[in-house]
Amino acid sequence: MSRRVLVAIMSSLLLVCFGSPAQAVDLGQELKNAIERNTQPQAEPSSPQSSGGIDVGGVRGLLGFSVEEEVAIGRQAAGTLLGAAPLVKDAKLQKYVNNVGRWVASQSERPDLDWHFGVIDSSDINAFAAPGGYVFVTKGLYRLLQSESELAGVLAHEVGHVIEKHHLKVLQQSQLLDLGSRLLSQTAGEHQIIKNLIGNGAEIFARSLDRTAEYEADRIAVVLAARAGYDAFGLPTVLQDIGHAGEDSPGVKLLFKTHPHPDDRLAHLDDAVGDRFDTLKGQTLERRFYRIKP
Amino acid sequence: MNTAGRIPVLLGALLLTVGTALAADGGSVLKADDLKVAPFRDARTVGSLAAGDRVEILKKQGGWFQVKSAKGSGWVRMLSIRRGAARKGGPDAAGILGLASGRAGTGRVVATTGIRGLTEEELKAATYNETELKEAESYSTSRAKAASFAAKGKLVARKVDYLPPPDSAR
Repeated sequence: MSRRVLVAIMSSLLLVCFGSPAQAVDLGQELKNAIERNTQPQAEPSSPQSSGGIDVGGVRGLLGFSVEEEVAIGRQAAGTLLGAAPLVKDAKLQKYVNNVGRWVASQSERPDLDWHFGVIDSSDINAFAAPGGYVFVTKGLYRLLQSESELAGVLAHEVGHVIEKHHLKVLQQSQLLDLGSRLLSQTAGEHQIIKNLIGNGAEIFARSLDRTAEYEADRIAVVLAARAGYDAFGLPTVLQDIGHAGEDSPGVKLLFKTHPHPDDRLAHLDDAVGDRFDTLKGQTLERRFYRIKP
Repeated sequence: MNTAGRIPVLLGALLLTVGTALAADGGSVLKADDLKVAPFRDARTVGSLAAGDRVEILKKQGGWFQVKSAKGSGWVRMLSIRRGAARKGGPDAAGILGLASGRAGTGRVVATTGIRGLTEEELKAATYNETELKEAESYSTSRAKAASFAAKGKLVARKVDYLPPPDSAR
């Protein structure tokens, strides 16, 4: 997606925020109408429409989200996460993380998404992905890392969530989903409807994904890291570090709440990896790893 | 002579395969696995470890740990091992994270650098920050630039198949 489209989205955001009251009223009415439609016991069968999605077994398909809509949701979520924890003010660090992340994401099925990576100023140990290619690692987690391959593994796990659209699938379970997907094409950015869709503040990041989604992201992570030429075992090494410390350690409460235990993640990875990567060598790049000033 | 020229190359290759030495680190076996004489699948099996066995981790290389245990020494797949002892965090629970947060500065030091958590409550209460988001977007790099960054690190892309979920593999 080009920068021009982003600019277009931002412009429409401005339109929405500072646009005419009449427009706001219309959107409010749309919201009400859609909620009423959604709460009807017998909803009309969904039919394919330009931005409304397709019917897959009674549930609207994810294909209903255009990339623009996905990015609009991701921007709202990412911007709100940054409201809770701003970026670490270290441009070299942020550029480094973007290079590593973009290289890893380039090995996925969505190499041309406008990927954004960042380190946020929190001592908590966690990492976050939002739809559309927004990925953040906390400073607390970054400090645990000892090599570029470990960073690549952590970012690759989040890239896995984005390419599998795990968060969109969670949103899809909410009644407001097709409302969002119908309206997002005309409204984007910090907007009430998207806010309604993703919940209070950055709450979307405090929710757990399905455990199978986490295991899937782990499997994707070791593969993307390996494809990128890194040692595939960067993420498992980080998981061992976190598991080693235990869930009573400072800063891991939310991570342990929203993810399976690192031991279970390692065991699942072991089942999936088997001996496939035994002969696969890769770079760890400890020396190039950018270390944050204390 | 040719052979003389080869020695440094061989030495270099040896150095590359030495792996990362770890400060003696305890671990336990997550699931039964073979102990191998060298870090690869076809290497001779020199013993077997049972779930719960204690090991001392000496070195990491790729997906393998070199370990010492009551049942002998050798290499075992790292995914079969968990670092540390008990799951709920035993006496060595301070471990890596303890050190890491120590580096961040426990207590006093941290307070001056503005340590902040990221709890569920804080996430829910968060408000959108367009300025920070635009800054984040400004650090974005292109696919081509990331590729040249990778080349500088001698990272070479390769084909690796996705892993099937373990259940479907059985």
